[in-house]
Amino acid sequence: MTRGSRALPVLRAVAGACGVALMGVGMWAAWRGDDPQDPWPVVRWLAGAVLVHDGIVAPLTLLAGLVVVRLRARRAVRGGLLVAASVTAVAYPVLFRPGVPQNPSVLPLDYVRNWLFVLALTAAATAVIALTGARARAWARRPRTREGNDGRKTPRGS
Amino acid sequence: MKLPLRPPGIRSLPFSFPGRPSFSGRLHDARTATAVGRLLGAAVAVCFVTGLVSHVLQHPPALLANSLPSRPSWGYRFSQGLHVASGIAAVPLLLVKLWAVYPRLFAGPPVRSVRHALERLSVAVLVASALFELFSGLFNTAQWYPWPFSFVPVHFAVGWLLIGSLLLHVAVKLPDIATHWRRRSPGTLSLPAGDAPDRRSLLVATGAAAGAVTLTTVGQSLTPLKSLDLLAPRHPDHGELGLPVNRTAARAGVTAGSVRGWRLYVGGPRPYEITLDDLRAMPQREVVLPIACVEGWSRSARWSGVRVRDLMDRAGAPVGALIRVTSLEGHGAYRVMVMPHTYARDPLTLLALRLNGEELPPDHGYPARIIAPNRPGVLQTKWVSRMEAL
Repeated sequence: MTRGSRALPVLRAVAGACGVALMGVGMWAAWRGDDPQDPWPVVRWLAGAVLVHDGIVAPLTLLAGLVVVRLRARRAVRGGLLVAASVTAVAYPVLFRPGVPQNPSVLPLDYVRNWLFVLALTAAATAVIALTGARARAWARRPRTREGNDGRKTPRGS
Repeated sequence: MKLPLRPPGIRSLPFSFPGRPSFSGRLHDARTATAVGRLLGAAVAVCFVTGLVSHVLQHPPALLANSLPSRPSWGYRFSQGLHVASGIAAVPLLLVKLWAVYPRLFAGPPVRSVRHALERLSVAVLVASALFELFSGLFNTAQWYPWPFSFVPVHFAVGWLLIGSLLLHVAVKLPDIATHWRRRSPGTLSLPAGDAPDRRSLLVATGAAAGAVTLTTVGQSLTPLKSLDLLAPRHPDHGELGLPVNRTAARAGVTAGSVRGWRLYVGGPRPYEITLDDLRAMPQREVVLPIACVEGWSRSARWSGVRVRDLMDRAGAPVGALIRVTSLEGHGAYRVMVMPHTYARDPLTLLALRLNGEELPPDHGYPARIIAPNRPGVLQTKWVSRMEAL
């Protein structure tokens, strides 16, 4: 048994204990810190985040995967959808924030136009990658030509 | 023509009803989770450390209250820009990581032992706090507050919950992580070899997604990339005199009437009052310093005005004194700001009267505002009316 494998359980125990302690700091900060908060709304929002992800976002992603996996260019399409979904998730607040911003320098851009532009760019890049990938596969599967397979006998006994 | 390799198994729904769903899609494996998880872990660690830096600079513990460093002058701009950028880059990483491990949510039996129950609970805390931190931060940058609690203390507290549950998770999963760390690690080799090209393609796509969200937002603080700033809540070119604004004079309740006959009170052993004309007659200094907001945007600007330390010296303030700065604004969490002596003595710290060659506009703090190096934007007090040595 090496020293590393003996040290590993100790390292894990120490790291795990530190993790529990840091979580304790978080609980303390929320409910006993400088600006204590009512715990239930926070717990509801934490649980709500998991419910929205595990109950809506993840199943929808799996359903999309069901379609994508049947496509010939599924890798490129999956990549394109992942980029598009990430950009949409990050842009969600600037796209859908209700109300009027506090001043003209807050949310100053035409976000709907910019978001559509990024999606269009993603779609174009996905199409290019899918097409070049298809051509590369076709090239790899090309039939051997006479020149390439010139009928020389395989040397024997070598 | 032969179709490219299609993962076997997915014929109908990815899970079956009734009862526990079963997953037949590919890449829901430990190698994918390790490869994405370590990037996500690194992003979360950067987010946590930079978040802590921001918290200490804004709410210094008693030990540091008078000794926070005023240099490097770009320090807060860098750390808070990185905080927001790493949080944004972590969004696709988190979504892919959760997708990779999603089937484990339905693994049976749901609870095998007390230890197993605790482990599952800690994973629930990890997932909840990760989703909450990334999205609450993102909503905050757009100044959208749909929740009923106050953002700063909860974002701070859940940050500890996230880093703690992440450390615990890494400790629990360490053997799995170790055996899937490399492409040639034993655990990776025990997975179907046919998945490897597919996994590489997923990882490349994840990198592309992280790159895309970074490039389209990071220009709000990294000004050389401002032309790519398409989706960030701020743009360096939008704002009066080329500088974005957070709190306007109107919102702060500062009107033309309230600055008429303005005089600055400087408190110390020899307190005095000074008019704007007298301030203009004092030696003027010019500095180039950024306004770096907690929301992640930042923009460098050229400021001129009087050194804070010259004003305080004239009042006979002790060198090591904390300086309390009060704004004309009637209310607001940052109406009164306390400045450690390290900032007040820094030759770059000004009571600024001019911005980019023009007199300060009302929204940038006319008649006078504080500009200090390595300091969060909310502490660059505008519409200053009093400065007192404590």
